[in-house]
Amino acid sequence: MTDTAIGFALLGIVILVVLGVVFAIASRGGSGASRPAPPRGVHLPSPSFLPAVMSAAIALLGAGLAFRAEDQLANPWLAIPGLLLFAITAVAWVRAANREWRDVEHGSHDEPAH
Amino acid sequence: MTAETIQAHPAGEHDDHEAIDHGQTGMPTALLGMLLFIASEVMFFGGLFATYFNARASVPAGAWGPPEGAHELDIALAGVLTAILLASSFTMQFGVWAIRRGDTGKLRMWTGITLVLGVLFLMGQLYDYSQLGFGVADGVFGTTFYTLTGFHGAHVFGGAVGLTIILARAMRGQFSRRNHVAVEAVSMYWHFVDVVWIAVFSTIYFLR
Repeated sequence: MTDTAIGFALLGIVILVVLGVVFAIASRGGSGASRPAPPRGVHLPSPSFLPAVMSAAIALLGAGLAFRAEDQLANPWLAIPGLLLFAITAVAWVRAANREWRDVEHGSHDEPAH
Repeated sequence: MTAETIQAHPAGEHDDHEAIDHGQTGMPTALLGMLLFIASEVMFFGGLFATYFNARASVPAGAWGPPEGAHELDIALAGVLTAILLASSFTMQFGVWAIRRGDTGKLRMWTGITLVLGVLFLMGQLYDYSQLGFGVADGVFGTTFYTLTGFHGAHVFGGAVGLTIILARAMRGQFSRRNHVAVEAVSMYWHFVDVVWIAVFSTIYFLR
């Protein structure tokens, strides 16, 4: 088996593991009756730098894949910081979204006009 | 729509959250959001196709294709993968029709089959990549080929994540005849991914 084939096989395993984790997380919710419904009205996300930071991280990662030596998969000085920044931003974004969801659930938002 | 109606349903909200009343005018905000997202994705893939055609036009006739020494594209395998993805669109729609009737058991079954077909497509694409013998850095064809098919594969993976969530929620009994907007939204996305693949497959394998 070539290195390329092993790499793609590992990617296939990662895909299956991620889907399994998603299934496990999604299965933790309650039944239809107990599942919290989103509150009424319009809810916009708060202003955030995270989309811009994540764009910069992806650009850094892409540059790391493009500007590399012949025998390298990627330029480590660009790709590793890009990957780390991407992972940190993704986690921060999910946490921020969860925080906003909880705030909305607890009613600390403007009630819509009726 | 009268002013009273607008005030009674601000921002298109209905009394029953996530509820779909077929035959009634208006669209749940989640479905509208998915439609807008798909519209942005159409623009995204439009850019990728424009890049592919631009690169193709800059190469003399007959010189376009995998680099020397690499295998030719496996049309038979790509055809099988296309059939798998096309079939998955049908199974997804059978699931949507089932939940519109309130048949949650059939929804679980068809969503599960659709997810399996989607994963099969992804595994088949990875196997195809491993057999090609050229990479993303091997010439303009390699770059455009992997960019187009790779981004499409990433979208199939995104759809598979959506299907996994739908399946898990369906198994928890969170959908009903009136409350299944997430199923409709994911099905829209899945059909879009299928249509994009038909365009990718036709472009790369036949319009050479």
